[in-house]
Amino acid sequence: MRLFAVGISHRTAPVELRESVDFARRGLDAALTALSARHIAHEAVVVSTCNRAEIYASAESETVAEACGRFISEYNGVPWDAVAPHVMVYKGAAAVEHLFRVAAGLDSLVVGEPQILGQVKSAYAAATEVKTTGAITNRLFTAAFTVGKRVRTETHLGDGAVSVSYAAIALAKKIFRDLKGLNVLILGAGEMAKLTGVHLKAQAVRQLTISSRTLASAERLAQTLGGRAVPWSSLGEALTAADIVVTATGSAEPVLTRARIEEAMRPRRGRQLFIIDIAVPRDVEAGVGKLDQVFLYNIDDLRAIVQENLSRRASEIEHAESIVRQEVDKFRAWLQSREVLPTVIALRQRFDEIRLAELKRLESKLAPLGPEARERVDEITHLIVEKLLLTPTEQLKSTRDETLAVTYSDAVNRLFALQAPKPTDDSKEPS
Amino acid sequence: MALTAWLPFVLYAAAAATYLVHFSTRDKKAGLAATALLAGGVLAHTFLIGMQTMEVGYAPLVGTTAAVSAFVWLLGLAYLYVELTTEERAMGAFVTVLLAVLSILPALDPAPDPRPELLRSPLFTVHVLSMLFAYASFALAFVLGITYVLLFKEIKAKHLGFFYTRLPSLQTLDIMNGRAVVVGWLFLTCGLIIGGVWAMQLHGSSSDSRVQAMGIGDPKILVALLSWVIYSFALFARRAIGWTGRRAAWLSAFAFVLILLNLVPVGYFLTRSHNF
Repeated sequence: MRLFAVGISHRTAPVELRESVDFARRGLDAALTALSARHIAHEAVVVSTCNRAEIYASAESETVAEACGRFISEYNGVPWDAVAPHVMVYKGAAAVEHLFRVAAGLDSLVVGEPQILGQVKSAYAAATEVKTTGAITNRLFTAAFTVGKRVRTETHLGDGAVSVSYAAIALAKKIFRDLKGLNVLILGAGEMAKLTGVHLKAQAVRQLTISSRTLASAERLAQTLGGRAVPWSSLGEALTAADIVVTATGSAEPVLTRARIEEAMRPRRGRQLFIIDIAVPRDVEAGVGKLDQVFLYNIDDLRAIVQENLSRRASEIEHAESIVRQEVDKFRAWLQSREVLPTVIALRQRFDEIRLAELKRLESKLAPLGPEARERVDEITHLIVEKLLLTPTEQLKSTRDETLAVTYSDAVNRLFALQAPKPTDDSKEPS
Repeated sequence: MALTAWLPFVLYAAAAATYLVHFSTRDKKAGLAATALLAGGVLAHTFLIGMQTMEVGYAPLVGTTAAVSAFVWLLGLAYLYVELTTEERAMGAFVTVLLAVLSILPALDPAPDPRPELLRSPLFTVHVLSMLFAYASFALAFVLGITYVLLFKEIKAKHLGFFYTRLPSLQTLDIMNGRAVVVGWLFLTCGLIIGGVWAMQLHGSSSDSRVQAMGIGDPKILVALLSWVIYSFALFARRAIGWTGRRAAWLSAFAFVLILLNLVPVGYFLTRSHNF
């Protein structure tokens, strides 16, 4: 039994292809049912996000890789020729490593992003729901969750905001405890203003106020966002009431001068004001940032923070990779012991059969002995067999090298003429 | 005995080191270990104070060294309470360093001073404990104020680094600072009133030079009253004229320096009324 990871991701495929290959569209359960109807693999889990569409499968034959690739193309109605060049295939330990790196956020477009672990979890949940998982994938995904959790708690891979809007929200949260009770004023009614408004709305701020030179467009945006619009002439009051001001006007001249903010700050009695200037050219005079209790960040400042966070994350990659390696080793050891287990069982059975047969053959000679002595004979012969098999069993189980383990296992099978059953019984969980 | 006397210091110092490790690495296990060490230190300290009380038959609060010891103990307890209720560990690094440094004094001179006849009044114990609890609360306000200023500077300078990733928000620090000042002020007021009432009682009945020195002219009493004025102003300014945030932080930091001066150098060398 081998593990395979087959699929496309942001590393291998352009965005147009990723958009057309989307298992989540019709539901993961539908995709999994369709996949299992093809009888390609013993076990399968489908992971589908906007950046990847991957199938994790365990199967006997190597043909599963291409079969899964073709399934991806056919299920999504994309010609195989268009998909084939972008399909990546990982086998065995490489497949394990790939899943672990995905779960850790190491394979994400934005390294360390936290959503992916949840997406892998729901992919696995969907697969258990439609019963396409088995002993191997169960263990594999549980281990992947462990990796994700370890990387999250033991490294700083996911620390720091890595997009401008998150950086601004994180900053606001460092100034004010949370954004729930805050008044937000947005200056401008263009696309940038709208985007920011949507982001802030998601943070459940108390009141969104929009002001723009043309009241009508401010009102339109206020309606879309569920806020209120105020005319440009009452900007002073709106500034005094605001905790956060986002400026995104198209004005060529600064709309918030130092004098204006100074005036707005006076009745605030030390209440802090966080101004985010995302307009280019800038909407806020640089001198405003020098005012006490005013924090001014413009788009370049936020970009610089993002850049710094990204490089900080990059320095954590090696640590996260080492966690992945450790867990891959653990999983391989388990897989290995599982591969050789049928041989071990068959070997023990063979030895015990011989022992019992010999005891039976000697029954007439043993007959004069009392029941206690006969029991002792049985015990001693059993112990001899156990002792003889102890070392070979341990050696077989502890072999790290996959091919060597298979060679050993084959050799034992031949030498003792064993017929080891293949490990397909899912109910049996070898230790 | 000598070994037991050093045990709180050793544990406080170990806690301080571990809190610093936690602060710089943000390692969760280090954080838990630090809290455990601090709790161990407070426990050992409680045990030590308990033993001394049993030994001499009264609360060991006589003399500056004993006062410092009780202050350290109360601050440790107060900080642990704050940490457990807010689940915020960043202040620990600052508080435990103060604990470790101050706990050297009682460790060097652990034997409780004999209690003069003068201090037999229960008012004495209430006065001292109330003052020391106020000081512990002000110590927390001081740490919160210092961290506020550090974080404020980072955000203002757009250089988000060390403190930005480790401290809670400015608003949280400010609210906690405000609360610590309120609690401290209440205890300080109580302590001063009780001290005043008790001193007046003594004036009539004792000719001890220390009792005669108990007046506004004594440095220890003067500085205590001065700090009461400053903290009263801080309370007023926060509510009436909007002195929150950085101003409140600086004010509580400055006022605590005064408290610390009053507790240690003034207590040891300058006072003529509180040198028991």
